[in-house]
Parts: sequence; structure tokens; C-alpha cells
Amino acid sequence: MVQCPNCGVEVEENANFCSLCGELLLENAADSAAIIKSGKLRRQEKLLTDYQKLTGFQKRKIFWQISALILISGIIITSLIDFIGNQNITWSKYPATISLVLFINFTLNTFLRQKIILMVILSFLSVTGLFRLFDIYAGNTGWEIKLGIPIIFAAYLTVFTLIFLVRKAKQKGLNIIAFSLTAAGLLCICVEGMISVYFQSSVYFGWSLIVMVSVTFISILLLYIHYRLKKATDLKRFFHI
Amino acid sequence: MDTEIKNTAPNSGKFWFALDNAAKIYPAIINENVTAVFRLTARLKQPVKIKPFRKAVLQAEKRFPFFRVQLKEGFFWYYLEYLSKHISVEPDDKPPCRKFPKGSLLIRIPVEGNNISIECSHILTDGSGALEFFKTILIAYSGECGTEIPSEYHFNEPTAILAEEYEDAYNRFFKAEIPPMVKRSKAFHLPFSLRPSSRFSRLNAMMPLEQMKEISHAKGVSITVYLTSVYLFILQEIYESLNAFSNHKKRKKLRVQVPVNLRNIFPSKTMRNFSLFVMPEIDLRLGHYEFDEIIKSVYHQTKLETDEKLIHKNISRNVGSERKLFIRGIPLFLKGLILRMKYYSLGTSQYSGVLTNLGKIDLPDETGKLINYFIMTPPPPNKMLKISCGVAGFGDNLVLSFGNITQSLEFEKKFMQFLRDQNISVEWETNR
Repeated sequence: MVQCPNCGVEVEENANFCSLCGELLLENAADSAAIIKSGKLRRQEKLLTDYQKLTGFQKRKIFWQISALILISGIIITSLIDFIGNQNITWSKYPATISLVLFINFTLNTFLRQKIILMVILSFLSVTGLFRLFDIYAGNTGWEIKLGIPIIFAAYLTVFTLIFLVRKAKQKGLNIIAFSLTAAGLLCICVEGMISVYFQSSVYFGWSLIVMVSVTFISILLLYIHYRLKKATDLKRFFHI
Repeated sequence: MDTEIKNTAPNSGKFWFALDNAAKIYPAIINENVTAVFRLTARLKQPVKIKPFRKAVLQAEKRFPFFRVQLKEGFFWYYLEYLSKHISVEPDDKPPCRKFPKGSLLIRIPVEGNNISIECSHILTDGSGALEFFKTILIAYSGECGTEIPSEYHFNEPTAILAEEYEDAYNRFFKAEIPPMVKRSKAFHLPFSLRPSSRFSRLNAMMPLEQMKEISHAKGVSITVYLTSVYLFILQEIYESLNAFSNHKKRKKLRVQVPVNLRNIFPSKTMRNFSLFVMPEIDLRLGHYEFDEIIKSVYHQTKLETDEKLIHKNISRNVGSERKLFIRGIPLFLKGLILRMKYYSLGTSQYSGVLTNLGKIDLPDETGKLINYFIMTPPPPNKMLKISCGVAGFGDNLVLSFGNITQSLEFEKKFMQFLRDQNISVEWETNR
């Protein structure tokens, strides 16, 4: 038995550390500290496969490369089929444009992970571009300015807020579902408002209010369960009087 | 509602308990300074062997599964819920009797050199309950160190746990329709000014048990009654030394709260709170008291108040209000406010000091041989009370432990001087 110089308890003869206070017992540990450390490292290395050793960025880059290959080959194949069948580029410009926008978004997600606001703005712009192109293909009716872009703007805004809330939530569970439901309800209101302005030139809310009221009730219930009851699924325990 | 319905058995996975009657007040009043955490310390003759000690703690906590709980908030009441953590054995290098953080167990075991301590929240149990657990640890420790443990102390079968051990015994011995207690007037409080933050300090006074027994038996009273009388006598001395215009002089009643272990009066094996208190008083409006007069008065008051019928009255006051449906139905956050107010107006303002005697601690000889003495540190007193005193006897030693949050050691010094004047050899140490 040896006595720990810090907290004064007796520890095993051959101990390197005091198991109570963590004090390094020098005469025992001088040469063995290095061995302990390297042993720990070796065990850690053994457990990881090659893929697990990659950083998050490296993994995303691999995903980006694979998706690029698939999308570009998809564009080429559809265009070829269209060209051979119709002697012209007709329908294939739609899948090609969509693939292009998808590719832009994958790229943004791969390289702009740290600058989330810039990423969201650029992604929004790419979708606006997509709508603009669709409108040009369909003969310039101007729907994307009046309908498409406002709706997509509202969608981006709600999703962005949702992501922000999810990231900020300390405990993730039913509260995430509640947030998502509320976001969906709000989006419904926006969509209905914009559609009514587009078709009837006046703001009118009907079905979306019903959606909103119902999701609000459900969300409040879920939030209550999450924040107040948490693990107390046993209601008798929580409400014992 | 029955305790049996509220509680689930501790071997049924995620069990939970309603707080017992005495514990219900604590969650409302606990803060960084008033922690309601008390400490029992065993000072060993040898340094603690940490490996066998850890094994002993693991053994003991198996026998007391109902101590591995955390405090949770319900809608109407707090409750205790099983927490699958082991009771932590930690180095004793932080201030004593700290508050337990949210989501942790309500019991910890600080260890340093020759000292094994156990710190326990009053929400969980009282001194006698914690002492049973502490004794189990110490007996298991002596077993791990290679001594033979007497067969009645083998705790290995978890089936041996009785429902009685985790019951709310107040509820069992509650008799309905007993008239409530009358309210007492406010009592004198010590005039000392408080220390700044981390204000709790301790002073331990060690003395031979034999000498103490002799002088109290010479007066025909128990050690508790004798020490309570000394307590009152010193309070009177301080009262009389105050300047005539002091605000503190307005309250002329001196009372000392002395907890009584109800397990000695009612047949319960509960390991949760089961104590009440008697409050012997002297009324200085009647003039100066001699020490012998105080002893006589305290002796009779204690006898009278520990009468079983009177104890019933006390229990019914405490439990009765808890059983009224309109009180039960108040949401928890409002209850907290009310309880806090009541605690200061009805609780602490009624007494000037606390003296809690754990009694003489019994251990099997094999375990007792390892230990010099026990120290019982009462929970840090609040800002009205300022000083409190815990007493524990073991072997040939009696230890008084004064908890103090003021800048003055006047009370303790006078107390010890009084004992020295009775030819008792007192040694003391303090951590301030």
C-alpha cells in the first residue's frame, strides 16, 4: 500500500494514479505513463475503419463527386435520347435544368457548410434561376415572379428558421416535431395567401387557417410533453396529488 | 392517499417515491447557502484504503436501493425518482455540505486521508437514516479489509429490503382529527454579523464521553438534556451581555430545537425522514436563570414533549395540512412560495438554536476498532439561526460540531469554556 500525497488515502502498491483524486503517483508512473498513453491510442486506431477515419468534409466531397457523376451522365443520356428521338432538344431541357440546379446545391452543401447564410442565399438564387428558366421554356407567362418566387422564398425562410431552431434545441425529441408542424402550418398560410393574390387579386385565408389551428394545438401538446414531462411518461407520477 | 399507492417498490426498475412529510419543505427553501445537507464523518485510525472502500460502497448501495434517487418536479409535488448512477466517492477538497445540483443523487461520499464522510440531503433522509447507511458502508469496509463480519450484518440478499424501510412513516402513524398545535411567539436570535459568501464554517470540539456522562448523570439527566441546558445558558449569557437598546433584546424567549428520533417511539424501520423535535425554552421576562434551574426546566419540558400523545399531535399538525385536498391541488410553484414564507415565519423564527444528538453510535467490535470517533455536522444554518450544533458519541469520544455562518466564534468559545469549567478536557479544531 502507498499513500497518495494529495488526498492521503491508501492506494494499491503498483498504481500509477490515485483512484480517488487522480494524482499522478510519480515513483510508479515515471516510465509507464508513455506506455499507457500509446496503448490507448493503439486501441482507438484499431476500432476505426478507413471510412470512419475520414473527416466530415472528406466524406461530403466523396458524396459530391459521386452525385456529380450521376447527374452529369443523366443530363447527357436524356439529351441524347431526346435528340435522337426528336432531332431536337425538346423535353430533355427540363431534367437537364433540374439536374444542374441539384448539382449546384450539392456543391454549395459540400463547400459552404461553414457559411450557412451564404449557402442558403445562393441556393435560393439557384432555385429562382430554375423557375425563371422554366418560365422561359413555357413562353414567358411571368408566373414565377408573381407566384413561384414568393412561395419558394417563404419556404426557404421557414426551413431556414426551422434548421436554426433545431440546432439551438438542447434536447431533441418531440419538440422538433412540434417545430416542424408549426413551420408547415405557417407555410400553408403563406402559400394560400399568395395563391389567392395570384388568382383573385385579394388576400383570402380558408383551409390554411384550419391547418394552422390544428397544428398549433398539437404542437402545444407536444411541447408540453417534451419540456414538462420529459422522462415522466408515467402521468401518475407527474400528477400525484 | 396511501403511501403504498404512491410508492413503487425499489426493485421494480424505474421506481419513484412521493417526498415524505418532513422532506416536503426542503425543496422550497434550498439555495446555495441553506443547503439542507448534513454530513457524518468517521475519523479512522488508519488512512482509508480506497479500493476496498469503493467495493464496500457498492455493496452498501445495493442494500439501500431507495437512496439512489434524484429530485424531480411534478405538477403538484416534488418526487424522488430512481437515477441509475452510483453514489460518488470523491476527494474531500471542496466546501462541506454543498447543495446537490439538479439531476444528481442526493448523497455523496467525500473521502480524505483518515476521514470517511457521507453527505446527505434532508430531502432523502434524516441523520438516523443516513447513519444506518453509513454504518453499513463501514461494516462492509471492515469486511473488505479482512475482518470477520458478524452474521446479522450480512447485507448481500437484496430480498431483505422491507417496504417499511422506504415508507413515509409519518403517514402511517398519523391519527386524524387531533387538534393542531398552538403557534409559538418569536424567539431570540444571535446578534452576530454574517460572513461573506461561502460562509459556512465548522468547529469540532472533542471530549471524553465518560467525563460528559459523569457530570450529566450527577445532575440526573441525559447528555442531550445537559448540552441543551448549556446551549440555553450560553444564549442567556450572550443575551445579557447585549447593550440595553439592542433590537435583539426585544425577543425574550430562548428556545433550542432538539430533534427527536421517532423510531425510538414508534415501531418503524424507515430509512427516510422520521423525526420531530422538542423545543425546550426559557423565558427571560421571568428573570435570570441559574444553570441548575435551566437543567431542571429542560428536563421536564423534554419529558413532557416526548409524550406519545403530544408527538401524535405534532405529526397530525404536519401531516394533516398536507392531506387537505385544497392544499394538495395548489400547483407546485405556488406551493414553493407559501412554504418558503411559512418556513421563515413559523419555523426558524420560533427558535434560537438547534442541538441535534445522534446518540452513541453502535458498531460491531471488528469495525469499531478501525474508528476513532464520529462527527455529525448539521446542515448550514440559515441567516436567522446563524449557529447550530451536532453531537455524536462513539467509543470513548463525544464530538460536538458547531456549524457557523457568522464572523464570531464567541458562542462556541463560551460553550467550550463552560464545559472546561466543569473539568471536562475539551480539544477543538476548525476549518476556518
